[in-house]
Amino acid sequence: MPLINFLIYFLTMIGIYSVLAMSLNFQVGFTGLINFGQVAFFCIGAYTSSLLVVKAGAPLIVGFLGGMALSGLFGYIISIPTKSLKADYWAIATLAGGEVIRLVALNEKGLTEGAFGVMSIPQPFDWFFSRDTYPLFYLLLIVACVVTVYFALSLLTNSPFGRNLKAIRDEEDLCLSLGKNTRKLKLEAMVVAGMVAGLAGALFAHYITYISPENFRPIETFLMWAMIIVGGRGNHLGAILGAVVIQLFNISTRFIGGYVPFGSDFMSALRMVIIGVLIVLFLLYRPEGLIKERTKVYDLQGNNMK
Amino acid sequence: MDLPQILANSLVRAAELSLLAIGLTMVYDILKFANFAHTDYAILGAFLVYLFNRTFGLNMFFSVMLAALVTGVVGIGIDKAVFKPLRRMEAKVVTSMICSLGIAIALRNIVRLIWTSGTKTYPLPLMRPLEILGARLTPVQIGIIFTGFISMVAFHLLLHRTKFGKALRAISDNRVLASACAIDSERMIRWMWFLACSYGVVGGTMIAVEHLLYPRLGFDIIIPVFCAAILGGIGNPYGAMLGALTLALAENIVLALDFGYLASLDGLFDFGSIQISTGYKPAISFVMLIAVLLLRPTGILGKK
Repeated sequence: MPLINFLIYFLTMIGIYSVLAMSLNFQVGFTGLINFGQVAFFCIGAYTSSLLVVKAGAPLIVGFLGGMALSGLFGYIISIPTKSLKADYWAIATLAGGEVIRLVALNEKGLTEGAFGVMSIPQPFDWFFSRDTYPLFYLLLIVACVVTVYFALSLLTNSPFGRNLKAIRDEEDLCLSLGKNTRKLKLEAMVVAGMVAGLAGALFAHYITYISPENFRPIETFLMWAMIIVGGRGNHLGAILGAVVIQLFNISTRFIGGYVPFGSDFMSALRMVIIGVLIVLFLLYRPEGLIKERTKVYDLQGNNMK
Repeated sequence: MDLPQILANSLVRAAELSLLAIGLTMVYDILKFANFAHTDYAILGAFLVYLFNRTFGLNMFFSVMLAALVTGVVGIGIDKAVFKPLRRMEAKVVTSMICSLGIAIALRNIVRLIWTSGTKTYPLPLMRPLEILGARLTPVQIGIIFTGFISMVAFHLLLHRTKFGKALRAISDNRVLASACAIDSERMIRWMWFLACSYGVVGGTMIAVEHLLYPRLGFDIIIPVFCAAILGGIGNPYGAMLGALTLALAENIVLALDFGYLASLDGLFDFGSIQISTGYKPAISFVMLIAVLLLRPTGILGKK
C-alpha cells in the first residue's frame, strides 16, 4: 500500500507540474517571452484559492476560479511595463516580480499568515470519498485538468491567435509590419498563461492542504525551466514529457536519499547541480529538447509540403 | 531622520553593488546577454575567500586576491565550456542567458555541496564604530568604501590609460572592425570574463563581510545588482556606479522615511507612524527597476 500511495503522490505532482510547464511553454516556446518568475503565478493561484476558501469561506469552485482570475490579472499587470521590452529585460522584470509576490506572501501577515503559511485547506469532494480512495480521486481530477489544459492550449496554438504568437517569437518586426498588434498579443498570451498556472497553484494548494512562502521559492521556476528545456519548447507534449522526466529525477533521488550515506541537504544540492548542468548540456547539444517542435513548410501556392 | 547616517550607509551599499554591477554590465556590453550567473560567481569567490582566510589562515587581503584570481579562471573556464561554443553556433543571446541561469543553479549548489547551506562569518575582530561627520561607521565599512573607491579608479585607469582598455572598448564598439585592426576578440573576451569575475568577487566578499555568507546570497543580491546596472544604463560601467549609488540612496531613504508623517501633510492628519517593513527592502529595487523600464529604458546615462 505505501508504494501505491507513493506512486499516486508522484503522478499527482507530475500532473501539477505538467500544467505549470505547459503554461511556461506557452510563454517561452510559443510567444518567445522569457519568464523567469513563473512561480509568481503558481503562488498567486495557490494563495488566492486557499485564502478565499479558508478565510472568506467561499465555495471551492470560487476559490479555483478566483485563483485563476487573479493569476491572469497578474500576467496582465506584469505585461504592462514590460510588453515592449527586449527578452533580457523581460527576464529580469519577471524574476523580480516573482520575488516581490513571495515577499508579499511573507510580509503581509494579516492576510497570508506570513511564514506560518495557510493551514487546513479544504479539499474538493472529500466528504464523498474515504481516506484511502481520496488520493486516487484527486489524481483523476488532476489528469482531467492536464487533459483539458492540453486540448485548450492546443486549440489556441493552432488557431490564428497561436500562429500570431509564433510569428512574434520568430520575427517580431515582421509580425508588426503585417499590422499585428504585438503588444496586445503578448498581453493576451500572458493572461492565458497566468490563468493556466493559477489553476496549477490552486490544484497544488488543495492537494497538499498547507502552503507557505517556502513552497514558492524561485527554484520552482528553475525546475519548470528545466522541464521545458529537456522536454522541448514549442509543443505541449514536450512540456508534459519534461515534467515527467524532471519530476522522476527529482522525486526518485529523494527516494534514494535513504540508501546513500549523505544528508538531505547534500542530496538536494547535488540534485540541483545536476539539473543546472542538464539545462546547459541540453541547450548546447540538443537545443530543441526531447520532442522537437513540428514545423510546417509551405510551397508558394500555400500547400503544406510535409 | 539622521541624514549623515543615511549617506554613509548608502556609500557602503553603493561600493558593494557597483563592483558587482560593473562586471554584469561589461558582459552585457561585449557579449550582449544578461548573465544571471554573475552574482553566483561572486559568491563562489566569497566562499573561496572564506576557505583561504578561515581554513588556510591567510590574511584577508591575500585571500581576496587569490579568490579573485581563482574565480577569474573559473569564469574563463565556463566561458570556454559553455559560452564560446554558443558563440560559435551563433546561438541567440536568449540561449546564452538561459544557459547562464543553468550555470547559476549549478554553481550555487556546488557551493552548497562543499560548504553546506548554513551561514558563515569571516573571523574579523569586533570593532567599535567610529564617528565621522555625524555618522557611525565600523572600520570594516570604511574599508569597504575605500576598497570600492580604489577599485573604481583602477577600473577607470585600466579602461582609458592602457592598451588593454582601448582594445576592450574597441571590441565593445564594433567587434568586426576591431578584428580588422588585429585585436584578438576571443582573447579580449577571456580577459573581460576574468575582470568581471574578479571584480565580482571583491563586491561579493564585501557584502558577505558586512552581512552573512551563505550559498543563496548570490540569488538574494541579483535583483539589486541588475537594478543598479540597468538604472545607470546597461553596458556603461560609469552608469553602473551611478546606478548603484542611486539605488543605495533609494533603499536607505525609503526605509528611513516615515510615511505616516508625509501622509499627515505636516501634522494636519494623524496616521501615526507608517514605515515600510525592512522585509520589503528587496522590493525597492524591483520598483526602481520597473520605474526606470517604464520611464527611461536606456537608464540614467544611456549607452555611452
